[in-house]
Amino acid sequence: MRAKQERIIKTIITAVMVILGLICIYPFVFMLSSSFKPSGDVLSTPLQIIPSNFTLMNFETLFTNEFYDFFQWFGNTVVMTGLTLVLKFFIITITAYGFAKIQFPGRDAIFLVLLAGLMIPSDIMIMPRYIIFKNLGILNTMWSLILPAAVDVYFVFLLRQAFVAVPDALSEAARIDGCSHFTIYRRIILPLCMPQVSTMLLFSFVWSWNDYMGPYLYISDINKQMISVGIKLFASGLAQDYGAQMAGATIVLIPVIVAFFLCQKYFVEGITAGAVKG
Amino acid sequence: MPHAAKAAVKKSSPARHEAMQGYLFVTPYLIAFTIFTGIPFISAFVLSFLDVKFITRLDDVHFVGIKNFIRFFSSKEALAALGRSGLYTLIYVPVIMVLSFVLAYLLNKGVFWAKGIRSMFFLPYVSNMVAVAVVFQLMLGPRGPIYLLQKFFGSEDPIIPLLNQKWALPVVVLIAVWKGIGLNFLTYLGALQNVDKSQVEAAEIDGANKWQQIKNVVIPAVAPTTFFLTISSIITSLQNFTVIQSLTDGGPGQATTVMSLSIVNTAFVKYETSYAAAQALVMFAIVMVITLIQWAGQKKWADQ
Repeated sequence: MRAKQERIIKTIITAVMVILGLICIYPFVFMLSSSFKPSGDVLSTPLQIIPSNFTLMNFETLFTNEFYDFFQWFGNTVVMTGLTLVLKFFIITITAYGFAKIQFPGRDAIFLVLLAGLMIPSDIMIMPRYIIFKNLGILNTMWSLILPAAVDVYFVFLLRQAFVAVPDALSEAARIDGCSHFTIYRRIILPLCMPQVSTMLLFSFVWSWNDYMGPYLYISDINKQMISVGIKLFASGLAQDYGAQMAGATIVLIPVIVAFFLCQKYFVEGITAGAVKG
Repeated sequence: MPHAAKAAVKKSSPARHEAMQGYLFVTPYLIAFTIFTGIPFISAFVLSFLDVKFITRLDDVHFVGIKNFIRFFSSKEALAALGRSGLYTLIYVPVIMVLSFVLAYLLNKGVFWAKGIRSMFFLPYVSNMVAVAVVFQLMLGPRGPIYLLQKFFGSEDPIIPLLNQKWALPVVVLIAVWKGIGLNFLTYLGALQNVDKSQVEAAEIDGANKWQQIKNVVIPAVAPTTFFLTISSIITSLQNFTVIQSLTDGGPGQATTVMSLSIVNTAFVKYETSYAAAQALVMFAIVMVITLIQWAGQKKWADQ
């Protein structure tokens, strides 16, 4: 009796949650379906999910229109995000190793200063950064997006936690065998902590790909622009072409959504493990 | 690692060798941190006491004391933006906290197809705000699904939320909640999975009803997570430039012109760099004060 009652409750909760979930993803459904409709149909049949006049015209407009080089923006963003990930992978893991496994004077004090950096809202730094980028000669280049993204205190902190959790016995044994710290980092720590490193790379991918404020403020050349700013330019330029706008939004979203579905496990575990305990 | 450096340190004691390697590992990062976070942070303070007007002209600047701050607190426009930011946060934080807790609690109670449901709530978090803003503008616009829904429920004159003085800000906040809830939801889910089940069962045996169980066992057990999420949600709610700019660009009129937008416009449209820095510092001070109060409150609460 009780088991049956619990099953009913479970079914009701599931139904409620599925409805809420569907509301959550409705904008994506609307976008995807509209991107395959002729522009005239987007608002005349807004509730129709499977397009009756299926067309690929919007994607054609997106990539072949003479005003906006969507393909260029997409390519810029791929390169920028790729370079960010490569740089971040090396610099963050090496730094985290240094703070986790090597003893040096001032280590904990320096680490505390870095942690205080977590508290600084990025809004406060936008003007000074502009001046610094200008002086470094990286204003209006993708390096003004890549280099600051590599200074991600949050993941230095998380990876240091993960590296500390690897038993010292492992690295001590390797030290006695004459391995350098670099060898231990590369052969022992990195392979063991790949899940956490993957989480960092995934989140960094999403953040860099979606970054809007950086390119909006620091990149002025339209051909060097990133896709977040590009989609806005495109949408306001082709204000009446709803189908093409939806196709643009779809293209911007596809990479992150694919990454999300392929690597859900790392997203979820990353967040649940990162939650503060006690 | 350069061989010369390695050979040089080999002569000294092992501890010194160890320390050298430590510095070698962390120095590249520390240099980058200093350039891209340390110096900008300190410069923001310096800037706010100067009169830098145009970003490119740095040779002719003067110390003006707290003039920029006085200007801020005597400007109706600036205070209105601060008020809107406050309102934004006051809606955003409670809504996202309560909703994410409820959703995580229900999911944790046991549902069929938990993984699929979890993904649906998390999907907006990874999506690109500007791209979804284009979608929302269409969906909430004239003849869009929301418009039709209002018509369906008998509204003669359906509201276009993003173009409506009264509705623009709350609707923008709700979209921000939709966008951000995945992270809070999953964090709560992780915390709930760590709640000691035997405590909940003990409360049940003692005759506590569902609500009492939640109030007396579950909520205290996840209090550290609540604290952490509240702080991070407040900070997220103030860093809303992308959300606002892509959805309404501060409009209609000034209805959604919040601090983040005002700071960027002051700096990059009006070129009043120092005044913008002062505004950003006011925000920073407010966040710090809120965090400290929260932290003190949390400590007091935890000690009881």
